[in-house]
Amino acid sequence: MNEGFLEIRDLRKSFGSGEAKQDVLRGMNFTVGKGEFCVLLGPSGSGKSTLLNIIGGIDTPDSGFVSIGGDKLEDMDEKQLTLYRRKHLGYVFQMYNLIPNLNVKENIEVGAYLSDHPLDVEEVLTTLGLQEHKYKYPNQLSGGQQQRVSIGRAVVKNPDILMCDEPTGALDYKTSKEILALIEDCNRKYGSTVIMVTHNEAIKYMADHVIKLRDGVVRHNDRNETKIPASELEW
Amino acid sequence: MKNPLIKRVPRELATDWHKYLVIIVFLVLMIGLISGMYVGHDSMLAAIRDGRQTLRLEDGSFELTKKASPDLLESIGSGEMADVRQYYIEKGIREADGEVEKAMEEALDSRVREAIEQGVRTQCEAFGITDEDMILAQIDAAIEENYDSAIEEARASEEYRTASEEAYEEAHKAVEEAVEEEWDKIAEEYGLEDAFSPVPVSVYEDFYRDETEDHDLDGTPDGTVRVFRSDSAVNLASFNAGRAPETDTEIAIDRMHASNVGVELGDRISVGDREFTVVGLLSYVHYLTLHQSNTDLMFDAFGFDVAMVTPEGFDALHSRVHYNYAFRYEESPADKVEKAEYAENFLKALLTQTLTKDNEIDGYLPEYLRQASNFAPSDIEGDTSATGILCYILIGVIAFIFAITISNTIDREASVIGTLRASGYSKRELVIHYMSMPLIVTLIGAALGNLLGYTLFQTTAVNLYYESYSLPRCTPIWSSEALIKTTIIPLVLMFFINLIVIIRKLQLSPLRFLRHDLSRSKRTKARRLPSWSFLGRFRLRILFQNMPNYLVLIFGVIFIELMMCFAFGLPDSLDHYGEIASDMVFSPYQYMLMGYKDSDGNVIETDGSSAEPFGYETLLYPKARKDSVRSGMGSGGDESVTVYGIVHGSTYVDLPADLPEGHGLVSTAFQKKFGLKVGDEITLKAEYENRSYAFTVDGTVDYEGGIALFLNMEEFNRVFEKKEGEFSGFFSREEITDIDEQQIAMVITAEDITKVTRQLQHSIGGIVSLFKYVLTILAAALIYLLAKIIIERNESAISMVKILGFQNREIGSLYILPTALVVILCTGIGFVAGYLLMIRIFRIFMLRMDGYFAFFMRHSSMFLSMAYLLLGYMAVSVVDFLRIRRIPLDVALKNMD
Repeated sequence: MNEGFLEIRDLRKSFGSGEAKQDVLRGMNFTVGKGEFCVLLGPSGSGKSTLLNIIGGIDTPDSGFVSIGGDKLEDMDEKQLTLYRRKHLGYVFQMYNLIPNLNVKENIEVGAYLSDHPLDVEEVLTTLGLQEHKYKYPNQLSGGQQQRVSIGRAVVKNPDILMCDEPTGALDYKTSKEILALIEDCNRKYGSTVIMVTHNEAIKYMADHVIKLRDGVVRHNDRNETKIPASELEW
Repeated sequence: MKNPLIKRVPRELATDWHKYLVIIVFLVLMIGLISGMYVGHDSMLAAIRDGRQTLRLEDGSFELTKKASPDLLESIGSGEMADVRQYYIEKGIREADGEVEKAMEEALDSRVREAIEQGVRTQCEAFGITDEDMILAQIDAAIEENYDSAIEEARASEEYRTASEEAYEEAHKAVEEAVEEEWDKIAEEYGLEDAFSPVPVSVYEDFYRDETEDHDLDGTPDGTVRVFRSDSAVNLASFNAGRAPETDTEIAIDRMHASNVGVELGDRISVGDREFTVVGLLSYVHYLTLHQSNTDLMFDAFGFDVAMVTPEGFDALHSRVHYNYAFRYEESPADKVEKAEYAENFLKALLTQTLTKDNEIDGYLPEYLRQASNFAPSDIEGDTSATGILCYILIGVIAFIFAITISNTIDREASVIGTLRASGYSKRELVIHYMSMPLIVTLIGAALGNLLGYTLFQTTAVNLYYESYSLPRCTPIWSSEALIKTTIIPLVLMFFINLIVIIRKLQLSPLRFLRHDLSRSKRTKARRLPSWSFLGRFRLRILFQNMPNYLVLIFGVIFIELMMCFAFGLPDSLDHYGEIASDMVFSPYQYMLMGYKDSDGNVIETDGSSAEPFGYETLLYPKARKDSVRSGMGSGGDESVTVYGIVHGSTYVDLPADLPEGHGLVSTAFQKKFGLKVGDEITLKAEYENRSYAFTVDGTVDYEGGIALFLNMEEFNRVFEKKEGEFSGFFSREEITDIDEQQIAMVITAEDITKVTRQLQHSIGGIVSLFKYVLTILAAALIYLLAKIIIERNESAISMVKILGFQNREIGSLYILPTALVVILCTGIGFVAGYLLMIRIFRIFMLRMDGYFAFFMRHSSMFLSMAYLLLGYMAVSVVDFLRIRRIPLDVALKNMD
């Protein structure tokens, strides 16, 4: 495991100005190793989604930097950032944001198209249990199935980092566990680094690395000695 | 791997097929019609261009008062100017010699008589004879006996020879001095001092007679037919059906005229006092439009015809022969400017040669100013530029509709776009993706449109031209202009309008797409609204929220209203002009005479009780166009103005008797067309001489039928250097029958004014009615698309208010009422804007043409032009309401993110 694959140094970010100014990230420091399953845990307003967006190159910090594999994001222009996201990142959001008039397989191909070395779409469909639904349109699927497709779209790129922003936020208990198990599988099977933002404390037990955030700073930065499989998590 | 997003395009086409069908049909019809017009137009122009060569079109023509002598024709053909100075001197000397000879003879006579008388009286005195009677008798006898010898003797005397030589010399000197004194004036009149280079031409006889035509053989003349001989070497005809006449009872007539008045091959018609069988339907290369006179506002294919008969058939007719000669330059001019130079130089040669060889010019017309051969091609050319602009405006409207649709799609798909951008899709890829739909749809429209353009609509366009003009046969040709204008330019327009909108829309960061934060407004607080009812404020919010959509709607409605004003106003203006034409003529008949005296020198008179003599001249009023090469010569570039001389106490035109010198009244048409005011000075130019006349406008005569200036008869004769008592013709309320036809040059009746409208109604009537219906459909389609966009954009909000318990009726009033108000308001504003704009456009259009008639719309048309659009909107509203009813409740719930 490469210890310093993702490095966050003195990251600061605020919104608004004057009296309405709100510091969301107030000097954040940590590193994530390559292939790690890292959970960013924190209550609402703790800055975890903002942090994820900055790591993902879709938001910029006021100061500090993010470095991935030695490349600092702050040195990249918009085109390079797009290329960075294209080559290295996969995104899974709380809402699935699937393209309504593409079927399941095609929605996954949307991700595959971006990658120079994509995974086999059929294999991903099988892994995600979507083979029998591959010709269905998103509106013919349940929430859980749609989230599987969105994971498939992110994973098929074979990304270095899989960014998950509250991926189970809109799902029920049982489906949530299934989705978490899938992300766990992908992490194990394809070796992607996973950074998952959640406010669900229980999820920290399946991670290699747990970073607890509160009021824009890292409160705890722990590594689990033993992990509990997602299927055994309870909340 | 191909971008999977491309798979969305056919699916979106299939899902929203009704919207795209409307757009595609719209594009296909528009592009097809315009492509058809271009192809038809290019094919037609090619046929006309070819005809000019193969049918030996003249480079110009002139008409002489009497048949030209071979010597005159040869001189004219050389293109050289005659020596006018020498001509005047010789003419003066001839006249002076006559006078001197007469004076000398008289003096000789009296001197001889005196000498004889003196001799007789001396002898009588010597013989003592004092009786005076006897002396006178002796004198008479002596004169009788000796006069001739005495005269001979006196003539032979030195004294006589010296006196005679002195008298002739003095007279010749006086003539030369007089010519010298007058020379500057003469030289200016004929432009003799200007630069000149001879233009050799070949001159051809192209004589014609203007005969009456009775095509239904009911004994009443139906119009005028200009009859040419079949053996002409220039200005040939192409036969659309039948053949050329072969016997003196056969005739071939104009195809367009035959079609208008219902004459077919094999029919018999009466021309003058003879009957002919129609054996051919032709199109003369110099009569592509049937302009009887080059100054006619519009051609008249109903009341005027051109025909071909054999030389024997021609000789058997009786009306006056017009000694018209066509000429072709030995060396073709290179361009328009050279054409004008050639024409000007040739005119000088013509003027001087006819002057010096005892003939007079009745008319001169270079071909490039000839309406009958140029009106059709220039009108056909004009057609396409107007339709081209129309096409671009409509494509622009469609492009904006697309841009708004896409803009709304981008709003709706913000999360997806945010996700794609976050996943690494570049802006370029997304721009290409969103651009593909409008471009594909335009391509489909253009492909199908062009297909129709080269087949169905090409024939329609060509038929439309055949309906209007006497054109030769044509075959479709490939038109690269059609491809550029109907396919390339629409694609480019569609591309750039959408590109700008999409790039601007996709400028936002992925995060803002993910957050649905797409507003560019810096406004942080909601706009404050007046304290209306809740629903009123709600509607106002909807209005503000959909402002871009409404802006396109406003533009579209105003554009359609302008077109409606055109579609309703044009036939109305023509009808109106036709209706008031008979009231407009101040004299039901105007008889133009060849001269005010007959061949015996007697002043022409008539017993017609209402006949009143008048003076008539045609001058030119320069139009304010600097780009025209036509100015200065002939008609076409300048407005032709009829100058009337009116007698005191006229019962036709009420003119103040005390008008000062150089003052006159203008017709209301003249005043309106050029915006003249009382006190304005107008300068009119003579058509074939370098002479100008200045007049001061003292008021108007209520006459809409022509561009005219009215002077008192004395003033008219003074200005135009006429003799006292001279006049040009008679006004009359009834037909004059007691003047020899040979003396009548032309008769103008109310029908000559209405023929303009009759021809225009025939040419454009069908297309204008079609235009009205197409515009109504276009208006409905446009409003349908925009209203659909507004409802789609608000689908989620509509779904939410449904969930909250609003009824469909209430929702309809919320979302349809603002659109209805905007449409009604825009229709009103659009109508006013369109109406005012049409008045202006019409005036500009009229300035390009000779004559004038104003834009007019009936009240019912004004109402209908708005009602059609509103009816279209009502139909769309029903569809909208059904669309609102169909929006399911879960749309709002699905879009809760």
